[in-house]
Amino acid sequence: MSETLTAPPATPAETPGKRPSRVAEALWLVVPYVVSVVLAFVVGGLIIAAIGRDPIAAFESVLTTSFNTRFGTIETLHKWVPVLLCAYAFAIPLATGKFNIGAEGQLLVGATGGVALGILWSDLPMVVLLPCVLVAGALSGAVWAGIAAFLMTKFQVNEILSTVVLNFISFQLIDYVASHVWPDRGAGHPATTPVGEGALLPGIGQAPPMHTGVLLTVLLVIVIAVFMRRTSTGFEMRAVGANLRAAQVHGIRTSRLAGAGLVVGGAVAGLAGAIEVAGVHGKMLEGMQSNFLILGIIVGLMARGSMLALPFIAFGIAVLEVGAGSMQRTAQVPVEMVLIIEALILLFLLLSDIARAKIRRS
Amino acid sequence: MGEITEFLTLMIPAMVPFLLAAQGTVLSGRAGVFNVSQEGLMVLGAAVGFLVSFKAGSNTVGMAAAFAIAGVFGLVLAYMTTQLRLDQFVVGLALYFAALGAAGLLYREVIGITMEPPLIPTLEDKPIPLLSDIPFLGEVLFDHDLVVYLAFAISVAIWWFMYKTRSGLAFRSIGENPKAADSLGINVTWARTWSTVVGSGLVGMAGAYLPMVYTGLYTEGMVAGRGWLVIALAFLGGWRPHLVIAGAAFFAGMEVLALRAQVAGIGIPHQFVLMLPYVATLLVMVFAFRWARQPSFLGRNYDRESRLVG
Repeated sequence: MSETLTAPPATPAETPGKRPSRVAEALWLVVPYVVSVVLAFVVGGLIIAAIGRDPIAAFESVLTTSFNTRFGTIETLHKWVPVLLCAYAFAIPLATGKFNIGAEGQLLVGATGGVALGILWSDLPMVVLLPCVLVAGALSGAVWAGIAAFLMTKFQVNEILSTVVLNFISFQLIDYVASHVWPDRGAGHPATTPVGEGALLPGIGQAPPMHTGVLLTVLLVIVIAVFMRRTSTGFEMRAVGANLRAAQVHGIRTSRLAGAGLVVGGAVAGLAGAIEVAGVHGKMLEGMQSNFLILGIIVGLMARGSMLALPFIAFGIAVLEVGAGSMQRTAQVPVEMVLIIEALILLFLLLSDIARAKIRRS
Repeated sequence: MGEITEFLTLMIPAMVPFLLAAQGTVLSGRAGVFNVSQEGLMVLGAAVGFLVSFKAGSNTVGMAAAFAIAGVFGLVLAYMTTQLRLDQFVVGLALYFAALGAAGLLYREVIGITMEPPLIPTLEDKPIPLLSDIPFLGEVLFDHDLVVYLAFAISVAIWWFMYKTRSGLAFRSIGENPKAADSLGINVTWARTWSTVVGSGLVGMAGAYLPMVYTGLYTEGMVAGRGWLVIALAFLGGWRPHLVIAGAAFFAGMEVLALRAQVAGIGIPHQFVLMLPYVATLLVMVFAFRWARQPSFLGRNYDRESRLVG
């Protein structure tokens, strides 16, 4: 596994005493992102032109929809929450060198846990019910990822495969819950009945309100940053990801830690599911996982080991995703174009490491 | 007896996507390239295979187009991992996303939104003369479309190449110890490149088979995780083509079983029946990772100038 994945890109050995300035260091970090984004848009624009549409109009609506209207901004923030949480679900296990491709399943099972309490205890007041729903979501997600963690630590089952396979099991599970346990027959689409009033995240502002899950997520960003940087477990996780053998030699129980990373990742994805239920839908419905798994992985890979970069990158991706819909309406460019651009950004970012190494050497 | 014959007759074509994609995965895997973009390549293969068949009016051309486009993705993977030595998983995932996006884009561009989904003819059964007259076996094994025979032939060919030829022995050594292989004058980069291109092409063909065999329709979720199951299958078969055939029978059997149980309505909610293949995969992987072998340099890039081996 290359080091660029799990740790901030290592700078080549410098002669002691002659350290580059902080500004130069920051530039080396930021410039590849800017260049990659620009290049991806150039290539994307060429594809759009090739299918006979106007790339300028397309990109204009992709980039401005989030900021033109209050509605667009709120939608972007609402999208930012699950994308970022799924990115954490990917990036936290990645810090220990494990790939969690199961954020989707963990999100859905988390949503199931949340919706179960929200329906069963629908009479409880909000102060009691809402925390219960959110905690149930996180716990359910943790249990779901825990299956993969158990198989990985006990039986050496590759976590990429187990987490992916669990996604497909979760699709059937929520289909069952939405069509047999608490079905909403009138919905015309597998969905559960609404949760109780007390299970809903309060909104801020009017028309449309922003749900407070956004603030909760901001809080979580700080908690995770502190956890990874300031606690011994966080340090151990980073040590395992940076150099497995060195960590083992120093007595870190690596396999347990890797399992714990998966479980924590699952809990974060489960929380995302509960927030989607409590903040956006008010119920659970099939397809609510959207493409958050893929977006989370993209964000997690783009951040390249930096937990601090995740929220910003996730916001950028949320802007693109919200813009994608309006791009399809105004410029008749299919929404999938945005996924291609995101994949291109990722590839160019990977290539930038090589370019950077070449430039630095000369 | 009739029940078993019918089950097996359905199972053989259901094996084809697993076989083609898993043998493709095994091929590049034995040279050390661990492709994780199968799911995306199968979706892209299904879309391109369908669209080209629809426009060209020939499933063969569609199949070839799917092989070609997935092969191009394989070439990118090979170049980025062998020449640029970028992480195989990350490049594979990026290609998975790009392939998903490309599949959706192409379908929307070519077909657009229509009232009636377009149809392509499904593949015809071509019974093999004489052999198909054997009671039971003839019906089960020798009365299928041509791609079924092709998939089995490719499996045998890959096995033959790897285990019965001298160059196959050299090829396998790359996945075990590329440094040793390199010192014997085996071209590591070339072997990894061609096997990844051909392997990815086979994955694309596996995807293209899906719209051609059952309904003649392309739907977005039709690959349904098979691309991921294929990776599990490669591990289960210990990255050996002959064992992969047996594993493919298991996965296809589960799929057919789930479908038939759903149709028969056995009192269990169908969602639990549809979980069956995936739950079985999880259980089987417990054994696969305990006892099955895997190439020791699987998923790792080779740098001639690096001292680290093993």
